[in-house]
Amino acid sequence: MKTKVVPTIKLYDYLIVPIQIELDDSTIEKLQMQLLNEISERKIRGIIIDVSMVDVIDSYISFVLSETAAMAKAMGCYTVICKIQPQVALTLAQMGIKLKDVFTANSLEGAIDILNQLD
Amino acid sequence: MMDDKNFNDIDINVHDYDIVLKIKDENDIAVSRQMAKSFAQKNNFSLADVTKIATAISELSRNIYRYAKEGYIYIKKKETEPGKDISIEIIAYDRGPGIENVERAVAGGYTTSQRSLGLGLSGIRRLMDSFYIKSEVGKGTVVVVEKRRRRF
Repeated sequence: MKTKVVPTIKLYDYLIVPIQIELDDSTIEKLQMQLLNEISERKIRGIIIDVSMVDVIDSYISFVLSETAAMAKAMGCYTVICKIQPQVALTLAQMGIKLKDVFTANSLEGAIDILNQLD
Repeated sequence: MMDDKNFNDIDINVHDYDIVLKIKDENDIAVSRQMAKSFAQKNNFSLADVTKIATAISELSRNIYRYAKEGYIYIKKKETEPGKDISIEIIAYDRGPGIENVERAVAGGYTTSQRSLGLGLSGIRRLMDSFYIKSEVGKGTVVVVEKRRRRF
């Protein structure tokens, strides 16, 4: 496996992805590839992306997150975005950006509950 | 390139600005976002408004990089009338291909890029207190936005 942009944790069939770095365009694109590879190689059925440390999510980052979730779905894997900061949620809503193909949760436990219900 | 720029009725004197940033590669998008964030924080904007400003700059810089290849972001603190609170003015300027249908681009949901939601310009307008755009095909685009400080 190539170097990972974000270190991930496998829990059951789920992959926890805590993003703690600045999401520039090439980083988010690399992360997309990394996650698709991990879904396939590690037999992942659910991805939990923790964005509690991400303080800007703009239209392109939103686009790539939704696109990644759609790709993951095609591979039989659901995506939950977890712990969006209040001011980020406010900004996304005001811009009229909707995160498509993803589930959202406000805690890791909530994210796992969502994935368990989907199985 | 440090002389004054004229774009139709917009005059930009670089010496008036606190931050002048050249956008020429992808990494500059994240750099501009960080600089805007710390500038707004330093000027005591609320966390919500810091996020909105940083997000708007991120969109503006990406538009420059994606469509014009290079351009500039200008940021300054503006003292408005006495008794009123300050604001931050941001200008995004490029000599790129320009936008054919500005109204459609600003309305949102329209994009010429495959990897985009088409919500950049419309989103910026919603996040900021004032929004001005001038674009001419073959000449370039200038976007001027302003966000007032609100105290809670």
